[in-house]
Amino acid sequence: MTESYGSLRRLLSDAGYAFVEPPVVHPAGVFVELAGEDLRRRLYLTSAADGTELALRPDYTIPVCLHHLATGAAKRRANYAYLGPVFRMRPGESGEFRQAGIESLGRTDRVAADADVLKLAFAVADLLGVKRPKVRIGDSALFAAVLDQLDLGPPWRRRLARTFGDTKRLKGFIAKANGKTKSAPPARSELEGAALAQVKAAVEEHFAATGLGQAGGRTAEEIAERFVEKAALAHGIKPRAAAALSAFLAIAGTPEKSLAALRALARREKLDLGKALDRFEKRTQAFAGHGINLNRLTFAADFGRRLDYYTGFVFEFQGRKGSDGPIIGGGRYDRMMALIGDSGEAVPAVGFAVWLDRIGGKAW
Amino acid sequence: MSAPLVLAIPSKGRLQADTQALFARAGLEIVPAGDKRSYRGRIEGIAGVEVAYLSAPEIAREIGVGAVHLGVTGRDQVEETVADFETRAEFVAALGFGRCDVVVAVPEPWVDVETMEDLDDVAAEFRPRHGRRLTVATKYIAITRRFFAGHGIADYRIVESLGATEGAPASGAADLIVDITSTGATLRANGLKVLADGVILASEAHLVASRTAAWDGRQKKALAAIVARVKAAK
Repeated sequence: MTESYGSLRRLLSDAGYAFVEPPVVHPAGVFVELAGEDLRRRLYLTSAADGTELALRPDYTIPVCLHHLATGAAKRRANYAYLGPVFRMRPGESGEFRQAGIESLGRTDRVAADADVLKLAFAVADLLGVKRPKVRIGDSALFAAVLDQLDLGPPWRRRLARTFGDTKRLKGFIAKANGKTKSAPPARSELEGAALAQVKAAVEEHFAATGLGQAGGRTAEEIAERFVEKAALAHGIKPRAAAALSAFLAIAGTPEKSLAALRALARREKLDLGKALDRFEKRTQAFAGHGINLNRLTFAADFGRRLDYYTGFVFEFQGRKGSDGPIIGGGRYDRMMALIGDSGEAVPAVGFAVWLDRIGGKAW
Repeated sequence: MSAPLVLAIPSKGRLQADTQALFARAGLEIVPAGDKRSYRGRIEGIAGVEVAYLSAPEIAREIGVGAVHLGVTGRDQVEETVADFETRAEFVAALGFGRCDVVVAVPEPWVDVETMEDLDDVAAEFRPRHGRRLTVATKYIAITRRFFAGHGIADYRIVESLGATEGAPASGAADLIVDITSTGATLRANGLKVLADGVILASEAHLVASRTAAWDGRQKKALAAIVARVKAAK
């Protein structure tokens, strides 16, 4: 079966995206390091003759970014498109399926780039015959801005930040503040209340006594730091901050209504959401400017991806009712290049992937 | 005549000896076919049962795919080896031997880590500090993934370990381990401690029936007879 998707290719090319075909087989490390152990169980793994672990690409985004890094300066502007097979183990479904998509790299006019990409996603959905798509949008930058403005200790801030996208767990953390669930009893340790230097010395003794080394792993210093920090964690989140977080996470609706709700929350809780809120507003205006019907969009304050390279705007075109995933998923992932590149430089990046197998069998 | 019920028994070690002894007490003498090195046998006194000697992980796998009807193996083996074990296998009877816990153990000097929640914090903060993911040495890959995912821990990497897992933190092969322990002595000797909520699974040997194997009336009768006698003798 060969489906050419000629008109889809033309649409993406005409929009200024150059098709690339990165290798199917990659060292597995880059995927596992970025997406974690949970993705690994879905990877088709094999080994090279020298024992290197290899994987069939589970998506195009990482291979396209690697291609970008291998062919020039990381920060240069480039627009890539792709269409081809990707491979993931999926119970009850074929492990080889086709994705198309684009990656827009290096544009520093982020709001405009976000809007251009969403507009193109709508054009793709239209071309593929998706009628009146419903699109869920989110913005992790708003959540980050809320966290910055709340009275939270650094360990709680980090814990909440990385849990964004997992609303059930977030609510669990917040509930602790209100005494709804008991937190673990504090460790009964003779070190309790000790100063950092004292804890560090004790940990070093422990290392010496057990014969375990610190080389390459956790050091006495970081263990002691976290031990001292834990006192703050044990106290939970303050009720005021917990209430503000709950109110924020519950905000949902059209972009305009959500914007009003975010403003009201910021006023009531005296939160300065500054740039994040401005960007959200400007982005919404840019959507409207591109002729996107804002009523097709539903913002949800708690919608985000847990992968730590996503940094802001995210969106999902929902599939038919009862189907098991979005038909188009996209977003901004400015942290990706810093994680996979040698230079550690962050590069603005936004794109989307189309799950062609979820849309249907006709060749476009 | 219909096909026999296939019963898989551990082919070596302590688990085999304990199984033989239990079945003998239950009046189910296992008799190897032909000479002693044979990997097939039968049960004295019950017709229509074929005994297959396999390793404990093989038994779990064969139960999962329905190649054997019934087997004696550890709960840990079934949960590790059989995907969707709840729909493919049924734990018919706990046998009271082969007891061990599958646990999460970290270096004792990690005085700040008492619970899985602590481990989640450590895992998340590990890569920014050290430029690599936190590593877990284990042979229980599926069990570890499920348990860590249940605690919301994503930022780690499994290093497959095929033996002497408890030595991995000392040798630098991994930062922590998931392994079996019965008394905890080996873990302590290697400078490791079990997390307060880090007992993933209290395992023991079970009589396990396959839900994916084809069962006819005669095989079901043989099953009922074996289960009743084993339960009575336990």
